[in-house]
Amino acid sequence: MTKYIVVAAVEILVYAFFIFFLSVESAWILVATLVLIAGLVLARRFMPNRTQIVVDAFKSSRAFVLGLGAVLLLLFPIVASVVLRQGTYWMLVLIQTMIYLMVALGLNFQLGSTGMMNLATAAFYGVGAYAAGMLSLRLGLPAILTLPAAGVIAAAFGLILSVPIYKTKGHYLALVTLAFGYMIVLALDNTAFTGGAQGLMNIPEIRIFGYSFIRPLAGMHFYANYFYLATILLAATVAVFYRLQNSWVGLSLTTIRDDEIAAKCSGVNTAVWKLGAFATGNFFMGVAGALYAHMIGFISPPNFQFIESLVIVSIVILGGMDNLLGITLGAVILVLLPEKMRVITEYRVLIYGVLIVAMLIFRPRGLLPFKPREYHRSLLNRLRGGSK
Amino acid sequence: MSGKKTLFYSTDLEIHFGGLYALQKINIDILENEILGLIGPNGSGKTTFFNVITGIYKPTAGDITYKGESLLGKEPYQISRMGISRTYQSSRLCLELSLLDNVLIGMHNRQKQGYFSAIFSRRKMIAEVADFQDRVVELLDVFNPDLKERMFRPVGELPQIDRRRVEVCRAMAAEPTIILLDEPSAGMTPDETRELMEDIRKVRASMSDVSIMIIEHDMSVISSVSERVIAINFGEEIARGTYEEVAGTPAVREAYLGKEVVHE
Repeated sequence: MTKYIVVAAVEILVYAFFIFFLSVESAWILVATLVLIAGLVLARRFMPNRTQIVVDAFKSSRAFVLGLGAVLLLLFPIVASVVLRQGTYWMLVLIQTMIYLMVALGLNFQLGSTGMMNLATAAFYGVGAYAAGMLSLRLGLPAILTLPAAGVIAAAFGLILSVPIYKTKGHYLALVTLAFGYMIVLALDNTAFTGGAQGLMNIPEIRIFGYSFIRPLAGMHFYANYFYLATILLAATVAVFYRLQNSWVGLSLTTIRDDEIAAKCSGVNTAVWKLGAFATGNFFMGVAGALYAHMIGFISPPNFQFIESLVIVSIVILGGMDNLLGITLGAVILVLLPEKMRVITEYRVLIYGVLIVAMLIFRPRGLLPFKPREYHRSLLNRLRGGSK
Repeated sequence: MSGKKTLFYSTDLEIHFGGLYALQKINIDILENEILGLIGPNGSGKTTFFNVITGIYKPTAGDITYKGESLLGKEPYQISRMGISRTYQSSRLCLELSLLDNVLIGMHNRQKQGYFSAIFSRRKMIAEVADFQDRVVELLDVFNPDLKERMFRPVGELPQIDRRRVEVCRAMAAEPTIILLDEPSAGMTPDETRELMEDIRKVRASMSDVSIMIIEHDMSVISSVSERVIAINFGEEIARGTYEEVAGTPAVREAYLGKEVVHE
């Protein structure tokens, strides 16, 4: 029982601090936050026994941790509308963070789990956005179809790269995807069919069973609709990747990442698995792009340039390859934080550069590094029970 | 011995890299349930032979027949599925993955659940993982129970000897028909080598009909385990027979020790 109280107390405190953090206008809040985090790190180091209680509480009640976290997240639009002066703005920032996180999770499946660098994530995200835009503008398809269709089209575009994917690796694959990313943006820029440099305008909002997403939701700004949809899509993305990682699929992919020859000689059809991992990652990037297109209603080629891909790569490297929680942390730090610090926003790219270099020197495996898979806790218990 | 059937044979197998002939006219066969030792000095082509069998290198000429079927043009994963598994001269384990995962990947060919059940029917997937995990425990029970304690530890934390053991376990976990062991005792003390060989023998006894082809530099290992020995040098076979016969052949002694100088 105590563990639930501990978890609830910690989560609510963190949530309250987060809201407080968003509400304070002064840039000093960043310094205060850093001091607080440093304090927590020091406490963990010098009082390992006392802090262990908290860690154990979190580890032993995973369902409760996730459930309460979900409830707090779902309350955000309400809290933001009531408490925050710029509630609508922060809602948009959080949606943007979730969209970036979806793309980063897609990249993580390719880079973190399988070891394939993809520097064209923004392009695949763009393919999804344009696919959704065109399907709804030109063909009048409803959002319930354009979202998955955008994912499938983004995945299919990735398969154009299938030959380099299974024939080259490492830096060479990175270069191929880099070139591909530029080609996509150039093509979008110069094709009348996709609206050229002007992009696509007036992309219809999402409607699900006649419910329009631009209607205010219970007095809140219409972004609340998109906030909830983004939360659902993100939850689905996390669930899919969690399940894939903790299964034979994840095992085959990490073996390919660590030693491709060993994987082949153990019977893994590496070409098929690599294509599958690439397509799966791109699918979620495409869905994220579609969500963005419907929400903003206007997309143009500059939205999908290389610099955006760089942000996505930074999220994965900063957070920790093949660690879903780490990548979530990375997305919050790299997408949400710069929005808070308008001063910093101008130096965004510089800060990303410094951050990546610093991470590679001091913590090359990311904030939360990859951990050996346990598949499912029941299996661990089974082994402990069986070996006695 | 005479009752055994030939499981695998290569006919006039050749591979050259540019002008360098790594293997020439190699005719090596292995019988069912046999342990064949492959010896030869460094660079004589032993590991290349393993790489050709497992499909990593494509031979320039000749053929390989296994269970009556040619292995030419087959991908490494297809050859693995036909029942040939191997270990490597320098370890090819995934150091960040747990010991359990490293052995589980050896069972890849028997996995029934795949991509879609991973996403949509997690219960089935977890049931199969549980089943396979039990099999790994069984295998470790026979092979080396000490390893069980560290099943969820990353292999990178294990000492060299245990890594070798895990690699052999991974090859055994595939329940293959032929296992190719490439210098399993490299970097081990004589005691550790003896222990490893004992472990391999135990697992082999618990499985049915496994042929082993073993590359070794440690002649005490070769002489104690192999029923037949083939020696190669500069990519060509120079002797075959029992260990004593091969060791007594002048060409073999010359390859290892150099030519005898006759003083006048």
